[in-house]
Amino acid sequence: MSVEPEVLARARSRVLGTPSIPASEPVPAGLTAATEVDGSRVWLLPSWPDGATPALLEEYQTAPMPLDRPGQARRVLAAALRCCWSRLDDAPWPGERAPLAAVLEVYVGMSRGDSELARRWATGELRRLADTGWLLLDHDTGTVRPGPRVAMWPEESLSSLRDLLRRLPQPPEAPGE
Amino acid sequence: MSELFEPLLRSYDEKRRSELVAAYMAVEHAAEPVPEVRFTALREPALRRTVEGMLGLTGRTLVRSGQNEWISGYRDDVAAELARDPACVPPAGDRAVLVLVLIHSVAIPRAAGLLGDDSWMSTYPTPLEELRRRSQLPIGELESALRRLRTAGLVSQVKAGTEEAGGFVPGPQFHRLTDAARRRLQEELILAAGPDSPLAAAIRARRRNQAGGNP
Repeated sequence: MSVEPEVLARARSRVLGTPSIPASEPVPAGLTAATEVDGSRVWLLPSWPDGATPALLEEYQTAPMPLDRPGQARRVLAAALRCCWSRLDDAPWPGERAPLAAVLEVYVGMSRGDSELARRWATGELRRLADTGWLLLDHDTGTVRPGPRVAMWPEESLSSLRDLLRRLPQPPEAPGE
Repeated sequence: MSELFEPLLRSYDEKRRSELVAAYMAVEHAAEPVPEVRFTALREPALRRTVEGMLGLTGRTLVRSGQNEWISGYRDDVAAELARDPACVPPAGDRAVLVLVLIHSVAIPRAAGLLGDDSWMSTYPTPLEELRRRSQLPIGELESALRRLRTAGLVSQVKAGTEEAGGFVPGPQFHRLTDAARRRLQEELILAAGPDSPLAAAIRARRRNQAGGNP
């Protein structure tokens, strides 16, 4: 009964992962907002003290929440960013929409062995990355774009990611381009 | 960038301040309780109170684990509010699967004296077949529920070994229960697993009295 509304709003945002609200509503204090491309909605993101990120755990030899297949998750996210973050000098958020087929193609180009199996694994991984706000999937159009969580990457951490993405296979040319 | 923590951090020098931030990030993001020996701000009671204050701003609190380890969880008053919000409650199917894992992996081994009384972590996996049979969910729905529960850290998958069967156990989020939350979960499990037992009757009677005492 006596929980302060702003405290509750921040806790609720954590429970929901990366919820979005209409851009006309005020962003609760203590949360960061990533604005949608068309400006209609904002995604609510946590705000950490002094620019710290969970990467800080490494300095203290402390294990973060485990992922089922961390290597695969990172590679699939990289393949998606290769397609959705084409202007690498810009920030990764909001990025662009890319066909799922193109992401799977890039992922297959990064993997060895059975390409059908690689596609199947990557499809499951795309769903998990969408569940956790790293990607936004649109099943109707068969496309993907960066999720609001990438907006939390600090600018100074992006240069190694840009270098890595430049070394990944090129996405296939979209028909008609 | 963030003004939220500034009133609590303002009075500390740079070193203390970074120790507070490190402890805050560690308890919020670690998979398991972190040892206070590694974090000054958890070891020293005055600093620990500030970490607690930082967590409180987002509805969280410090949870002690064992003698010298700490992690964070939702404040009891905040958890009660969130549980009333339908958007914050997982679907019934997910909750049913989670309860089956808790009964199979914790309640049954605990009743057999194989697990301690106050831990929700378990080394006794619930086989997928058991979940399929007892939940009566179509396999597709069961798999989606397990995917969501794993993503949320509420269950972990245990791979089958040479001698042990694989399956699912309670996930790392169960480290994050406060004393009150652990007690409530224990009672709910008794009510679910043995609704006709004398223990269940006692729990119901006490809750009735509490509800009567605090209208």
